[in-house]
Amino acid sequence: MDIKKLKPVFFIASIVFAVIGTTLYMGAYFSGLLFLLAGVLLFLVYKWLEAGTAALVSLIKAGARALMVPVFGIAIAIVLGALVMLASKYDPVESYRALFYGAFIRNWHVSVLNAAPLMFTGLSVALAFHAGLFNIGAEGQYYIGAMAATFLGLNLNLPPFLSLILIFVVAGMLASAWNIVPAILKVRTGAHEVITTMMLAHTARYLSPIFIRAHGGDPDTSDHAYVTDQLPEANWLPRFRAFLPEANYRLHVGILIGIVMALLVYYLLYHTRIGFEIRAVGQNKDAARAQGISIGRNIMVALLLAGFLAGLAGVNQVVGLDHKLYENLSAGYGWNGISVALLASSHPIGVIFTALLWGALDAGGQYMSRVTDTSNAIVEIIKGIILFLVVAKYIYAFLGNRFRRYRRRKQEAAEEAA
Amino acid sequence: MEAFFTIANTDLLVAMVRLSTPITLAAIGAVVCERSGIVNIAMEGIMIVGAFFAAVGALYTGNPWVGLVMGVVAGGLFSLIHAVATVSFHLNHVVSGAVLNILAMGITRYFMVIFFGHPGTTDSIANNLGQLRWAIPGLSKIPVIGRMLFSQTPIVYFTFILVIFFAWFMKKTKVGLHIRAAGEHPLALETIGVSVKKMRYLGVFISGLTSGMGGAYLAIENSASFTEGMTNGRGFIALAANISGGWNPIGAFIASLFFGFADALQVRFQVGKVFDIPEEIFIIFPYIATIIAVAGLVRRSRPPKEVGVDFMIEQEAD
Repeated sequence: MDIKKLKPVFFIASIVFAVIGTTLYMGAYFSGLLFLLAGVLLFLVYKWLEAGTAALVSLIKAGARALMVPVFGIAIAIVLGALVMLASKYDPVESYRALFYGAFIRNWHVSVLNAAPLMFTGLSVALAFHAGLFNIGAEGQYYIGAMAATFLGLNLNLPPFLSLILIFVVAGMLASAWNIVPAILKVRTGAHEVITTMMLAHTARYLSPIFIRAHGGDPDTSDHAYVTDQLPEANWLPRFRAFLPEANYRLHVGILIGIVMALLVYYLLYHTRIGFEIRAVGQNKDAARAQGISIGRNIMVALLLAGFLAGLAGVNQVVGLDHKLYENLSAGYGWNGISVALLASSHPIGVIFTALLWGALDAGGQYMSRVTDTSNAIVEIIKGIILFLVVAKYIYAFLGNRFRRYRRRKQEAAEEAA
Repeated sequence: MEAFFTIANTDLLVAMVRLSTPITLAAIGAVVCERSGIVNIAMEGIMIVGAFFAAVGALYTGNPWVGLVMGVVAGGLFSLIHAVATVSFHLNHVVSGAVLNILAMGITRYFMVIFFGHPGTTDSIANNLGQLRWAIPGLSKIPVIGRMLFSQTPIVYFTFILVIFFAWFMKKTKVGLHIRAAGEHPLALETIGVSVKKMRYLGVFISGLTSGMGGAYLAIENSASFTEGMTNGRGFIALAANISGGWNPIGAFIASLFFGFADALQVRFQVGKVFDIPEEIFIIFPYIATIIAVAGLVRRSRPPKEVGVDFMIEQEAD
């Protein structure tokens, strides 16, 4: 029998393994990693059957090359972070052991919880980047999404899944409406979206206390001052507990929605006409215009979609984790979404991993500060350094050129001597 | 209506000048920086770094002037990262700025813990510049204007001087003209033998110094302590002031006064409880004013031609 006939089998099997593996792993079942690995191997076999050995090798090479800069950046940041710890008289070995143990093993479920909103805001910023726009105000859209989700969650009384879908869609649309003004101003007057979305982010942040007071928050009591009433349980996002009995009780399926969203954004950007136009506008406005692509329309579409995605981060947080709205959720998911997107070079699939990394660093930092003397503020420094090293890709080209020039000069000197 | 007139008085104008000062400082920096061709959205981060080190200097030495110098120097040094990233490493200006803002938050959080043992707010600074009210003899006696302009605290005066200085510097000095050329037509500048790189480094560095001073003003003059995130978007408002002011120091100053006025009005409304609506509605005044300003005025002036555009010369064939 021809083994090539098995191609679809390998493909489907790899998808099934990947889905099972992801679900298990996100539910903090570490056996999921084995499934994921199996899924990847099956996929590689499928690629090999389809395109041959040479294509497989080049695929692996391309993957390795894409990973090189981030991995290199992370490694250097860890070293620099150790130096900072030494300079401030912390023990780097002990701290890092606690950090990584807490981030990836002990408190992996916290990492996943942290990563879920980052995935949405990261996708939001990444999508806007593809259109050459900087959605720096994702934090504001996040608040609008969270407020809308709280309002709907408190008032909707529908069959469970219907109300959840409604909350996600309507709150996302309201958050995307928050970006209408920046979008129109950008198209009509050229007002820079960095300023307008940033100002609206601060505006949304200050609107949230008003909202909270209107929905149960009472400044006169100390325990209920900065928080709304709780959503009815029917409007909560399902938890991993429902089908994985040993999962942490707080862990909800928002992360899976985030991953699906990342795949959807990937599909949108690289396999649809809208995505093509958005990327064309982002890469070269003049060329896009010459192709008959409307710049204004695509700027509108990109900013509104970005608002929608960032809003989902707030929805996810309210219906998934907190089930109420706190004033100043202050974890800065909007701002951190910028880092997550930059770190992934705005690739939607990359955002999945960078969001998990960022979430893990936060979770590990908390664990580290509990079991060692080291302050978890060190994590902010490490994050900043990683970001800088990964973003400044030109550094590597620069150093590479310097090195080549140095080698050539040495060679020339040697030749002259000979 | 009566309540309205209780807030519309000279105090309001004094507060306007006071609250516009940090924005003006960052905005004139933004003018120089953008004129040199570099977009600097890192000013928010530079301000917060400047504010933090000013507070540290003032607290540890007990001398606010040391704090001021430390804040300005820290801002300048921090801005050099932006210069290296954008000018030497050709990184996208907006991306570099965003990264620096994030890095600034991390640095201040970390040093807060190192120096003070906790995140949040520092101890109160007993010796701060807010206590020094320099009344200019004679001039301070003029009604309204005297109190508004000639009976202020030190950094406010420095700001006036800097606005006038930079207006002159950008128009009349050789270096100022070179900086402007670096943003308008860098290749021409390079052709006459002036390094575009150096001019752009200088532009970013000046914006770092002034933003650092703006941050220092917030921590050791306007209030007497440092709080994480105390800049509250002023770096971005300054960017808007620069744009609304037409990339010109005097214009940026007037625009900053407008934003300072929105801020002062907000504080009055909030404290005076003039209207029976939530105080947060007033807090968002300055932000909305900023959006209106960039939306309405941006078309009247033209940005420097090559602002935000990378400049690269093939120096040696590799």
